Amino acid sequence: MTTRVTLRRTLIACSALTLALVAAIVAMSLLGSEPLPARASLCAIFSAGTSPCGLSRDQYDILFQLRLPRILLAAAVGGSLATAGASYQALLRNPLAEPYLLGVSNGAAVGTMVALVFFGTLEWSRPVLAFGGALIATLAVYQLARGRAGTTPERLILAGVIVTTFLSSVIVFVTTLMDATRIRSFNFWLLGDLSGPTHTLLPIVIAISVVGTVALTLNARSLNLLMLGERDAFDLGVEVGRVRILVFVVASLLVGSSVAASGSVGYVGLVVPHLVRLSLGSDNRISIPAAALGGALFVIVADTVARTVIAPRELPVGAITALIGAPLFIYLLKRV
Amino acid sequence: MFSSPHFQPKRLLSLALALLFATALACAPAPKPETVTATQQLKDDAGRNVTLPAHVERVITLAPNLTEIVFAIGAGNRLVGDTSYCDYPAEAKNVAKVGDTLHPSLERIIALKPQVVLISTASQLETFTQQLQNQNIAVFVTDPHDLDGVFRSIEQVGRIMGEEQQANALVQKLRDRANAVEQAVKQEPPVRVFYQASGEPLYTAGHDAFVTDLIRRAGGISVTAEIPGAWPKFSNESALAAKPAAIILPTGGSMGAPNSTPAEALRSSPAVQTGRVYKINDDHLARPGPRVVDGLEEMARALHPEAFKQ
Repeated sequence: MTTRVTLRRTLIACSALTLALVAAIVAMSLLGSEPLPARASLCAIFSAGTSPCGLSRDQYDILFQLRLPRILLAAAVGGSLATAGASYQALLRNPLAEPYLLGVSNGAAVGTMVALVFFGTLEWSRPVLAFGGALIATLAVYQLARGRAGTTPERLILAGVIVTTFLSSVIVFVTTLMDATRIRSFNFWLLGDLSGPTHTLLPIVIAISVVGTVALTLNARSLNLLMLGERDAFDLGVEVGRVRILVFVVASLLVGSSVAASGSVGYVGLVVPHLVRLSLGSDNRISIPAAALGGALFVIVADTVARTVIAPRELPVGAITALIGAPLFIYLLKRV
Repeated sequence: MFSSPHFQPKRLLSLALALLFATALACAPAPKPETVTATQQLKDDAGRNVTLPAHVERVITLAPNLTEIVFAIGAGNRLVGDTSYCDYPAEAKNVAKVGDTLHPSLERIIALKPQVVLISTASQLETFTQQLQNQNIAVFVTDPHDLDGVFRSIEQVGRIMGEEQQANALVQKLRDRANAVEQAVKQEPPVRVFYQASGEPLYTAGHDAFVTDLIRRAGGISVTAEIPGAWPKFSNESALAAKPAAIILPTGGSMGAPNSTPAEALRSSPAVQTGRVYKINDDHLARPGPRVVDGLEEMARALHPEAFKQ
């Protein structure tokens, strides 16, 4: 009975969010540092790029080679980070569990940095090593957080702080060894930047965000039971160990591919799942897919601000998500 | 011996007194130079009036362009410290290293007892200057925004090191070469240039970068010449929309910046389509020292090869 009700609610919420997401993709593709004729751009988008609709060659390239891929990357990164955040929060029963705060993003950043320094020309090495870094950071945090009395929320956050600061110093150490011209661009990337080349990484990031979200949504029932506590979940027939490994691996994949493509975009995994739970309830069967769509929406809007507000110069998108995210989070904390 | 008729206590006393007087006379001016050392005042590029010793025997440079200037005006033997980036001329590598430009070691600097520290931007100025001034070390800032600014830096360093003649002669020679380049390209239509400082993410040279002036003198127009700042992070879209006819890639220098291909976003730009992408040694373009004129010549030859056919 409840399953059917939940399924209907999930479908309604996700359809509404999908509509909003498509609308945002179209609307935000009309905004950028270079003005494009709105009518012709819309016509070209709805013809799926088959007809230029009177756009000049450059305008067509800007829209389809630069702006839309960047918006899609923003969507994939936002979806990945929000999904990872939502599932960490369910698995670890901790409202503050978030890729950035747990040090998972920093782990992925160290992995990406190693790929950049040692395999600079092989683009695919970045998501692979970022995934490795994220997974190692996740396992380190989890091991550190596990005391004799099990994992308490406080221990988890402390472990996250320790891993984050440790990896931050690794990052500082390696950037110090870099040459002066690279430091600036690297620091920009670290703050979250979606302007990087997308042609190789974009399909990978989108595929991982979709597959990861589906995989975690399929395990949402187990995550619901895990929110009661690992013992109770085990008694109710949840394969706790398997679910835990699955969440760790999938979330690391999601965070790793996002960080490899765009650096550490903070607060997405924290703010979006909380907003979703506040409005749709904490059933993971709804909140995980809804968080994915909401995260995509959030980062698309934030990145549009980042690339237009001081155009033709740009801001790192991570600065915008933090600027929106931190006050919003304080507001949420006060309300709850 | 004491009974010797030659022994005359009175004479000895007067001798001792005379000696003492002479010594006192000789020593008297000695403590004074500490307080009344001849100094000179020189305004630096940060707008500060810097008091410098008239004779500088020990200097430290915190940027490779300043090291190159000090050697080029023949004061390299008085350079007691420089940075790990300083690799030109070859002698610069043998100078004691005080860290890199962004993270110099204050302790190492003080231990090397320089009279003057030359720095190239005002970034670390505040804490730095205070601590060095407490040690009686003068800090002089150079921050050139165009070629004339680079020449002014050379003249300033010449004055600081007491090598005005060498510095002025060097500036004259460089100015002649720069004028020759400008003369050669004067009749050529200016080329729209995109200067790609880094491709991923895209950084370029803005209004305040001296390389923007260099591009103009080489017969080009930087499409980002009016963008505020020196090295702005730039929009991919706007770079493509600016339709650059040529792209300059500063690369291959000792800093090894991996900047050897134009940014993906510029793939359909006229510059890439017509193959007008020029790699130029970034040591010649990124260091506002004597070798920027080499960079200017290389850039002008790339943008206007026909003007340099003999």
